[in-house]
Amino acid sequence: MNWNGNAVSDFMPHFWDGLLVTLQVLVLGSLISFVLGLVWALLMRLPSRWVTWPVGAVTEFVRNTPLLVQLFFLFYVLPEWGLTFSPLTTGVFAIGLHYSTYTMQVYRAGIEAVPAGQWEAATALNLPLARTWTAVILPQAIRRVVPALGNYVISMLKDTPLLMAITVLEMLGEARLFSQANFQFTEPLTVIGIAFIVVSYLASLLLRALERRLVH
Amino acid sequence: MAPPHGNYADTRSRFRRPGRRSLLSGAAALGALGALGATGCSRVATAEGVEGGDLLERLRAQGVVRLGIAGEVPFGYIDKDGELTGEAPELAKVIFKRLGVDRVQPVPTEFGSLIPGLSSQQFDVVAAGMYINADRCAQVIFSDPDYQMLDSFIVRKGNPKGLHDYRDVVEKKARFATGTGYAEIAYAVEAGYEESDILIVPDQVAGLNAVETGRVDVFAGTALTTREVVKKSRRAEVTEPFEPIVDGEPHIDGGGFAFRPTETGLRDAFNTELRKLKKSGELLRILRPFGFTENEMTDLTAKELCGG
Repeated sequence: MNWNGNAVSDFMPHFWDGLLVTLQVLVLGSLISFVLGLVWALLMRLPSRWVTWPVGAVTEFVRNTPLLVQLFFLFYVLPEWGLTFSPLTTGVFAIGLHYSTYTMQVYRAGIEAVPAGQWEAATALNLPLARTWTAVILPQAIRRVVPALGNYVISMLKDTPLLMAITVLEMLGEARLFSQANFQFTEPLTVIGIAFIVVSYLASLLLRALERRLVH
Repeated sequence: MAPPHGNYADTRSRFRRPGRRSLLSGAAALGALGALGATGCSRVATAEGVEGGDLLERLRAQGVVRLGIAGEVPFGYIDKDGELTGEAPELAKVIFKRLGVDRVQPVPTEFGSLIPGLSSQQFDVVAAGMYINADRCAQVIFSDPDYQMLDSFIVRKGNPKGLHDYRDVVEKKARFATGTGYAEIAYAVEAGYEESDILIVPDQVAGLNAVETGRVDVFAGTALTTREVVKKSRRAEVTEPFEPIVDGEPHIDGGGFAFRPTETGLRDAFNTELRKLKKSGELLRILRPFGFTENEMTDLTAKELCGG
């Protein structure tokens, strides 16, 4: 096995491009999944079957099919019906949607873990429903689930290479392109492997800090 | 390249002080890794043992040769009945039979993974009609080309942007796509197209899809692949074939079979048979069903195409 330092320095410009795309996907995907997951979770608590059944069906469908298949579908099949988005947009949306069906369950657990006494107290104080949610239930629920949500951020980071399948050049895509052009595999793949560890470690530190802030 | 067993265990124990059981399982895993590494080395060593390589003898003994193909119609692909076909595999079947190897076994992969796969012994020969160029010649050795080829574009019906060669693509600011590892990447860059703006798709079908859905204006490939793939499309068409410009000169590409650099013996034997087929005209008979014509027959040699 030979290690070629020049290959590393040649690869670095491509690496930064790829890292930027990976981080974009991670940040936007996390935002979408956190927001959309909360929306799903709240919709599922509405008392009407006309809402809970369709939402349940859609989210179960998304949760139970592979992300890679969803990516291919959104990228290659939707345009047949006249809906064309850029590869990056498609990728961010797909990953955000997919993970929102996981975070939805996390939020549900958080909401259900709020003691019944809190609901009763809100009722006794005659708090309006919106205020009960925003001031009493959600702050307690979300605080409980931040560690679990952090897990999904790490998991999402590790799923970003799937976007390579729809021509998004994130870190792995850049590494593969560079490898195929220069026939050097060891260096670029090692570099992005280390980058994944660093990014996921930094992300977990960030989330740990967030947890600590939220506790106090 | 074997991992330093003792040191690794030491650093670990300094950091974490693992229990005896986890230390043991760690050592076992390292041992397994080391064993893997060792077998990897010995396999490479046999390939380099004999001057000119002994692959042909080994293939004769096994009676089967593994061909790396990229699933590209008409160069090398698996047809509707699940049979290996394409110009390169069909030609390989004939030549290897004459060399005393009766059966061929396809190993399908992506185009960009053909050379790495050959180097890592996943197959014995690349039979994908691969263009012979200087970059690739630095990695593998080629047979003489069995065909020559021009480039062509897939564009939307009626060619609304009027794209006929790489210069048009640059001047008219068309959005450009081509396949992973394709030689067309370099041609577009040479014409002045920004490399980072190229959309790299996995294969020509994805390229056709990109053109049809309007993601790009043009997909570049060989005249033959593009011609074949648009047959299935009602929304795209293929442009008149043209010669790409390389180092300021019009350039004709030629495709051949790639071998590992140590296997010159096999490559030379292969070339001898190929030359006989060219002389007798059998080559065109084998290639004609795949859309090849007189125009694609060539007397170019691998040496000329490797350049430099």
